[in-house]
Amino acid sequence: MEQNVMLNQEESQLSVEGLKVRFFTSKGIVKAIDNLSFSIRKGESYGLVGESGSGKSVTATSVMDLIPDPPGRIIRGKIFINGYNILNDLDRLVTIRIRKPTDVRIKRRKRLMKRHNYIMSGIRGDRVAMIFQEPFLSLNPVMTIGDQIREAILLHSRVEIANSIIKRETLNEDDVSKIADTLMAQPDNFTRKKLIVRVCSQYAIPELAKLFIDLFENSTDKEFITKELLSLVNTKKTGLSLEELEEARNYFLLMDRKHDLSLRLLEAEKQENEKLAEKLHLQIRAINQQLRSDYLVYSLKRRFLRRFIDKPFVEYATGRTLELLMQVNIAGPERVIDAYPHELSGGMLQRCMIAMAFSSNPQILIADEPTTALDVTTQAQILDLMREVNKTYNTSIFFITHDLAVIAEMCDRVGVIYGGNLVEEASVKEIFYNAKHPYTTGLMNAIPKAERRYEKTARLESIPGSVPNLIDPPTGCRFHPRCKFRMDVCSEKKPKLVEIEKEHKVACFLYSDEVENEIEEEVP
Amino acid sequence: MELKYFILRRSLVIIPTLMGLTVITFILLWGLGPELIYRGINSSPKVNIPLSQQALILSQNGFSAAVVNGKLVFTNPIGMYFNFVSDLFRGNWGYIIGQPLTAPTLQAIEFYFPNTIQLAVGATVMALLIAMPLGTYIGARPNSASDQVGRIFSLSGYALPAFWLGLVLIVLFGNNGTAGFGNGTSGNTPVGIIPYLNIFPYFGNGTEFLSTTAPKGFFSSTFGQTLPTHIFLIDSLIAGKLNYFVIALAHMVLPVATVTYGVLAGILRFIRAGMVDASGQEFVKTARAKGVPEGQVIKKHIRKNALLPTVTVLGLLISGLLGGVVTVEIVFNYKGIGWLAVQAALNYQAWGILAITFLFGIILMVTNLIVDVVYAFMDPRIRY
Amino acid sequence: MVEDVIGTDLLDIQGEKSYHPRTEQLLATARSFLSYKASVVGLVITAIYFIFALVDWVYPAILGIPAATFNNMTTYSPFAIGTISGGINNDGIFRPGLAHGFPYLLGGTIFNFPLLLGMIASLRFDIGYSVLVVFTGAAIGSSVGVIAGYLGRWADELLMRLTDIFFSIPFLILIIAFSLAFTSFFNSSLTAMIVALIIVWWPTYARLSRSLALSTKSLNYVEAATAAGSSKTRNIFYHVFPNVLSPIFVQISLDLGSVILIFATLAFLGVAGSQISNYTFPELGQLISSGSSTFQTTFTGVHLGTPVIWWPIIIPGIFLLIFTVSINLFGDGLRDALDPRLRK
Ligand SMILES: Nc1ncnc2c1ncn2[C@@H]1O[C@H](COP(=O)(O)OP(=O)(O)OP(=O)(O)O)[C@@H](O)[C@H]1O
Ligand code: SF4
Ligand SMILES: [Mg+2]
Repeated sequence: MEQNVMLNQEESQLSVEGLKVRFFTSKGIVKAIDNLSFSIRKGESYGLVGESGSGKSVTATSVMDLIPDPPGRIIRGKIFINGYNILNDLDRLVTIRIRKPTDVRIKRRKRLMKRHNYIMSGIRGDRVAMIFQEPFLSLNPVMTIGDQIREAILLHSRVEIANSIIKRETLNEDDVSKIADTLMAQPDNFTRKKLIVRVCSQYAIPELAKLFIDLFENSTDKEFITKELLSLVNTKKTGLSLEELEEARNYFLLMDRKHDLSLRLLEAEKQENEKLAEKLHLQIRAINQQLRSDYLVYSLKRRFLRRFIDKPFVEYATGRTLELLMQVNIAGPERVIDAYPHELSGGMLQRCMIAMAFSSNPQILIADEPTTALDVTTQAQILDLMREVNKTYNTSIFFITHDLAVIAEMCDRVGVIYGGNLVEEASVKEIFYNAKHPYTTGLMNAIPKAERRYEKTARLESIPGSVPNLIDPPTGCRFHPRCKFRMDVCSEKKPKLVEIEKEHKVACFLYSDEVENEIEEEVP
Repeated sequence: MELKYFILRRSLVIIPTLMGLTVITFILLWGLGPELIYRGINSSPKVNIPLSQQALILSQNGFSAAVVNGKLVFTNPIGMYFNFVSDLFRGNWGYIIGQPLTAPTLQAIEFYFPNTIQLAVGATVMALLIAMPLGTYIGARPNSASDQVGRIFSLSGYALPAFWLGLVLIVLFGNNGTAGFGNGTSGNTPVGIIPYLNIFPYFGNGTEFLSTTAPKGFFSSTFGQTLPTHIFLIDSLIAGKLNYFVIALAHMVLPVATVTYGVLAGILRFIRAGMVDASGQEFVKTARAKGVPEGQVIKKHIRKNALLPTVTVLGLLISGLLGGVVTVEIVFNYKGIGWLAVQAALNYQAWGILAITFLFGIILMVTNLIVDVVYAFMDPRIRY
Repeated sequence: MVEDVIGTDLLDIQGEKSYHPRTEQLLATARSFLSYKASVVGLVITAIYFIFALVDWVYPAILGIPAATFNNMTTYSPFAIGTISGGINNDGIFRPGLAHGFPYLLGGTIFNFPLLLGMIASLRFDIGYSVLVVFTGAAIGSSVGVIAGYLGRWADELLMRLTDIFFSIPFLILIIAFSLAFTSFFNSSLTAMIVALIIVWWPTYARLSRSLALSTKSLNYVEAATAAGSSKTRNIFYHVFPNVLSPIFVQISLDLGSVILIFATLAFLGVAGSQISNYTFPELGQLISSGSSTFQTTFTGVHLGTPVIWWPIIIPGIFLLIFTVSINLFGDGLRDALDPRLRK
């Protein structure tokens, strides 16, 4: 999506603007998220805290556009992932008619929704990945772990896989000797090792990496090394037909291209750039035409002989799965790969989820209370793992929790959410030592003084009152019924989230008089 | 390995049920009384002999009977039970004498059974073929218009008497010829009131016109060779007689449609419920978050889980299917064991009734066993 | 605080009447049930059928059904009254329409008795005996089930194995076999059939109420009652039974439809015993069966091209179908209304 205009801050990886989410239930409309905006920078770890029911999970699922519909819908907002607004076509997808809060008619445009889903399925898991709260419930009970991770791998990097398999199959003596040259030329063992791993995965022979490393450690004789390498590589060649592989590669290329074009078409339509839209439309038509004519046989084979056609890919994916499982420190990955979810512990499952999330090297990882269901030691290990991933791949992490201790450990910046509104946003340090919003200070006071981690979580209970009913939320500041510093204005007007210090935003009349316009706009 | 043990254990559980089945069969025997049992005690029971001699013959065959107040009665139930059970398992199922045919019961069943298999399997296959895609479609769209239609359809499946549905189909589409599909062709008399569509024969399974009523050698006399399965659809194919195959097929249409309808409603309802249930679960969200396309989410993730609860009720459905088969065989004069059962009941053929009750029990037990094993095979959580 | 108390007090005086919690619950259920339109329609139609059945039983002359011996169902046959004009013959049977007066609105049966009256006359048997069978089966089954479920252990195991056996034989075959086997014992094929149906029917209720009893047993307040020294019998009557009751009622409403279908099927197959399997006996399955016999005799290759006598087959079937669909709709609605989780 390099062609797309980068909006907002240059370095923002994920940015949410004016998000509004509603659940249309038989008891009324739940105003789950109201006008929420935040953005996450590249490589940053952003935390979202709040009490239970404050809308954390809804925010996270909105970012993936996975709000269960019915009853829920995002009704306004923009969500930029890498600069592309995934809610481009939001207004056109549905028409919502509210007769009474309990009687809402939603008319869905099936064709547009289908296209929206098609585009989203290419983005989900590829650029953004998500880890859920309950590892036991979040994995399919009747599929093996391996199958589920393989599925994720095979969804998003098929072209790369095809390319590396082709490379492996066409590897000849010259290439091998060149590789040997470059590897020999490395100044030290460490960089060589790294390069070996990279080369091996490029040539779809990841399982040989270890042998290669041994080889280079034990010998410096170039001729011998080349010969050994060649014989090793030859054992891995399967003699697959190049034509078939290339056909598969080209087919996947076309599919990817089609997805890309559809995405741009949507954007062009949004900008009412009719000329471009027309052009893109024609290109998509051409691809469809090509798929129907040139790739007819192949797609039929894929449909009915999937098992045979995809075999080399599945083999590759199995190798990669093992690698991923090792990366997340699972003991005995060969056993785990064939295990079913019920055979593993919660911590193991959460590791598998992380492995799955990382299968396509996403730029953003959303973690919705990934450790809440786990015991304390496992929790620490999982957090370590995520931090490590954050550092090594420079992945942005959107971390959701109600445990402030975890926030302190994990995050660079923190947003505090209350009743579907962001009430404060600042760096971790600021939040912990210079909290402004009465709700945030309340949360801070709720933490037991000594770090009593064995209590599992520092539950946020000592603020009197409870989370507001979001069907009829309090007027003005959502927090005013529970606020010690309540003023008259608080119940009449809603404070706006304003930057009161550098990188520190608060929505409270104690710090700023700015008012947010609160008109319940007509939904599309 | 584990699965093998599971199957073994599950098979052992059958034993008490099997014993119960023999007890029920024995109670039936007791209720039917010595007179009816005597009528099929051997291939040509003498009827006009004194009761005391009849009692003697009964006793010689393991049924302790005596004459009390001028009537034959059974005595000693315990000893008789054991004799009876050993007879049952050795295949000594007595004789059917007179109507609907004269033959050893076992042989009669052997003769009619393939027809029932043809009907039941045909209906099951059809029901599954229709229910799987339809249930997936409907279950993925709860409360949509198609879901409402599906609901009405399932409801009507429960509420419709199978025999009436069969009759309605005959009234609409039937013809009483013996040839294959056809309307007005030689030997076909239209019955159906829909012009040009009354092309489905409604009488029998198509073998009727092959003449002969002799149980054994039935097929060989027609095809000039002994055929392996005794299932007309398959045998005609093996013999390479395509015209016979078409005839067999034509005769299957209405009966299979009738049986299918009843079973389909049940399966559809369960698949739908399973789909709705499964689609609300967390792992579906995970799959979507991975980027699995919607169609794949439904087929690969949701349906796989939805089929599990469906499999568990399959036993119940099979029971319904066998009941439906009995009715439909009568409506269409389709000569399977259901037909035989009703004929036996109508003609007070005690042995026929006992044998068929026992047989149906065994069939259902075995299908339930298979269902359980399939379930264990499908659901990795079950193995232990 | 004080004001609050006064406020609520005042409210209580002027406000709506408040009922006993159980009554409240009943009202909520009723309200919920009334919100399912299809189920309400089902209830109304079911009620109409029941009323006709009742009138037919008590005073059939109102319906224009010839008077008959009331105490003996088996001799009660409207068809036997001398209205037979044409017999089994194409010309003698009136077509549906008003040409021959209102009773012949739906045409004649094969004996040219008015089909409409024949169907209404059938309700007496069909509905009356279904109610008998289902209620008896439910009473036996749920008592056994509740006790077994509540006692647990061997009683429970025994019940499960016993019901396993009944479920291992297709019920239609079991009914046929039992009713035949009991005929000589009861000296009446009708009684034998009813007993056979009850025997086949109770295990369903036993299973259902057993599982319900098991789940109620672990409910907090039942455990509390047990801990407080409440006796087993008392517990069963005061706590377990009330909880089991509503699902049982749902099952009863659904089963009434099924049992009618079985009556019809048995009569059609001709295995219902000589008392019923007789073309003059008023029973819906019998009506359809006799209708189909016309049709079979008419068309054994003789009457090429003559119009089919379809009404004695199709119309009673539809009449039956309307009843079974209605009672199923009613049962579905009842289930949803009684289950608080499904309540809207
Ligand atoms: N499917 C739904 N239908 C109706 N309301 C919903 C639904 N999902 C969420 N909500 C509402 O949205 C609000 C926010 O819920 P959310 O799950 O985001 O809370 P949370 O902050 O994640 O809490 P927790 O810490 O318990 O996970 C809640 O008030 C809830 O009632
Ligand atoms: S705006 Fe008013 S009520 Fe809200 S947090 Fe600030 S002081 Fe409290
Ligand atoms: Mg949550």
